[in-house]
Amino acid sequence: MSATSPKDVRSQIAMVFHLDKCIGCHTCSIACKNIWTDRKGAEYMWWNNVETKPGTGYPGKWENQDIYRGGWEVTADGVRLKGAGKPKSLTNIFHSPHLPVIDDYYEPFTYKYLDLIESAAGDDQPTARPISMITGQPMDIKMGPNWDDDLSGSPDYARQDPNLERLSPGEREAMFQLERMAFFYLPRICNHCLNPACVASCPSGAIYKRGEDGIVLINQDVCRGWRMCVTACPYKKTYYNWSTGKSEKCILCYPRIESGQAPACMHSCVGRIRYLGVMLYDAAQIEAVASAPEAEVVQRQMDMLLDPFDPAVIAAAQANGVADSTIDAAQKSPVYKFVKQWHLALPLHPEFRTLPMLFYVPPLLPVMATVSQVDRGEQSRQINPVGKHWPDTWLYDTTTKELFGTIDDARFPLEYMARLFSAGDSAAIAGCLKKLMAVRLHRRRETVGDVAADTVATALADTGLTPQLAEAIYYLTSLAKFDDRFVIPAAHREQATELLEFTGDVRGATGFGFKAGSAKRGA
Amino acid sequence: MALIRREEVGMRILGAAVMIALLQGGAAVVAQSPERGREIFQSTCVGCHTIGGGRLVGPDLQGVGRRRSEAWIIAFVRHSQQLVAAGDSAAVDLFREYGEMPMPDQPLAAEDVRGVLAYIGSAGAAGPAPGLGVAPATEEQILLGRSLFQGTTRLTNGGPACTSCHDVTDAAITGGGVLARELTTAFSRLGGPGIRAIIADPPFPVMQRAYRDRALVPDEVTALVGFLGLVGAQQALHQPRGFGPRLFAVGVGGSVVLLVLYSLMWRRRLKGSVNQGIYDRQIRTT
Repeated sequence: MSATSPKDVRSQIAMVFHLDKCIGCHTCSIACKNIWTDRKGAEYMWWNNVETKPGTGYPGKWENQDIYRGGWEVTADGVRLKGAGKPKSLTNIFHSPHLPVIDDYYEPFTYKYLDLIESAAGDDQPTARPISMITGQPMDIKMGPNWDDDLSGSPDYARQDPNLERLSPGEREAMFQLERMAFFYLPRICNHCLNPACVASCPSGAIYKRGEDGIVLINQDVCRGWRMCVTACPYKKTYYNWSTGKSEKCILCYPRIESGQAPACMHSCVGRIRYLGVMLYDAAQIEAVASAPEAEVVQRQMDMLLDPFDPAVIAAAQANGVADSTIDAAQKSPVYKFVKQWHLALPLHPEFRTLPMLFYVPPLLPVMATVSQVDRGEQSRQINPVGKHWPDTWLYDTTTKELFGTIDDARFPLEYMARLFSAGDSAAIAGCLKKLMAVRLHRRRETVGDVAADTVATALADTGLTPQLAEAIYYLTSLAKFDDRFVIPAAHREQATELLEFTGDVRGATGFGFKAGSAKRGA
Repeated sequence: MALIRREEVGMRILGAAVMIALLQGGAAVVAQSPERGREIFQSTCVGCHTIGGGRLVGPDLQGVGRRRSEAWIIAFVRHSQQLVAAGDSAAVDLFREYGEMPMPDQPLAAEDVRGVLAYIGSAGAAGPAPGLGVAPATEEQILLGRSLFQGTTRLTNGGPACTSCHDVTDAAITGGGVLARELTTAFSRLGGPGIRAIIADPPFPVMQRAYRDRALVPDEVTALVGFLGLVGAQQALHQPRGFGPRLFAVGVGGSVVLLVLYSLMWRRRLKGSVNQGIYDRQIRTT
């Protein structure tokens, strides 16, 4: 908990995605698509999408804010929006100059399936031609929402990943060596940030963060379609609906949350990588944390999240109108365990300074080989110059002393992971990965027994874990049941309703639930 | 009050003249005294004409009996436009000389006209017309005149605002009436005394009827004359200048300048898709 006593305690529905468990099946994307964006004008939207990393993602190169100008930057006047804000929005009100175009996403398509059934008999098999869902005309499919799926090493996608910028050419090349090549999946939804750039950028005031659970929503009655939020969101998770002329985004399935159900993407996740729970945080610190130096942003955000067992925090939360049921849910929150107790999960691109409330457990890719730089000069000289040989100096060695090797031998340089999850702080990534490794070693010794006891003890001690903690992490990672993964507090919609109307007005009339009069039954 | 009484008298006389004209049938010739001629002149003609006071809206009538024949005068007074249409050279010259503003037809019997002529002959030089010596309107009066013209200030006796029928080109007035003449150039055409005379004692039948029991008070007349003077003086400022092909050239040139300016201001905007390189290398089938 923070050193100072919390001033403005609020609750937030937060999430953890465990990337080691994601198999890249896109079930979450399809579940979301079927429920929310299978509509005219929303064909190209994927409120939930799954990307292959390294890769450019959807829309292309969304992480490169030199292109899209999303998120916040620290200026002499404090933290300011990079591509929007009052003066910029006013001068660009009729056309935001950094908007993604449809080709940055992809042109949505379907297939003319009826041709398969209704074509007249002929010499050739009928085919279902792709049809553009924008023009309705036959088209060539040029791109899709997951076009870089599994394409690690590809020049168009993996090598264009903006996160590779800080890596040296040697490190970059090593990542894509044929035998060494690896990738992982990055499922993304709206982060429901504590400092949402979309809310700050909206000239109409249509976007708001719900007080009771922090879900960020766009009021479709107020939205005027200026699209400043599309530019401002650094994660490109607000989308413009060309049919309604309004912007839309992930609503965290709030109708499901309000009735105690997990959001569709989380409910359907076959890898069970997703966790959802309440976090209490000190809203008074938001501005200070968002304007902190880049190296401190992650730690300051973690400090801002409060201990729900601390009596001072509970008292402050109650004084601020947070329901007891919500505080209870915060104490049982799996997110609190992953993020605050175990320090296993980190936010995606914290350097955008939106204080995202979706945390990722970084993937511990199979570490079963080492790479070292060797001098092959002697060998090359012996080869006939006409012969074909590779002049690189990297040695890829799959023989390891230990079963798992060490995380310093990880297939991805820690620097790459740090660009994604910790604003460049490799130590934070190493801390997470070492803990994951320690838990893995501990369980290997428990189940198979081929790891030496002192190796496990050293690994646990190095990361500050105990066997009990390792078991708890193992349980929540691998065995957790539905109610362990999703701890959803009561929504207390009745309190929100009572703010607007006196429910006693309809007592004894047609019964609760009728706002308009109902038809009389009988004669 | 004096004005009203004079007009009532005039109307009564007019009525009587019409009755006589209907009844006489050439038999009963009623001798017209200069006294009756004076009454008719004061009620009907004085708005536009003087006797020895110089031209007003129409010509000075001193010595008109010597310049024209009696029959011609009678014909002109009753239907001036018939003479003009018939090509009578004297009538056409007069019509042109006075800004092609037709003299309103006067429903007077020949005898009445003779009476008026008799009065004119006997009156001699009557001095300048009423209103010639009135001081020009002050700025406040001009503003009052504008407001009276628009009807934002009501006329004292409840007469309709000028804008009901007339229009002028003035910055403050929009949507004037189109039932009667546009008055922007009225002051320069008719002169201050002429305008004053017409407003105070309208010679036009429609205007006569409209203001029969609601005549303007002298202050209002002064204000409106002053306002019409201002409108006339400012007329030159309201004339659009013709730029011809220069306007077109400036439009095209201006558009080019603006486009260059915009493309410089927004030179760092996103142009095309980040995926364009990928698309360009793809094989097309359509």
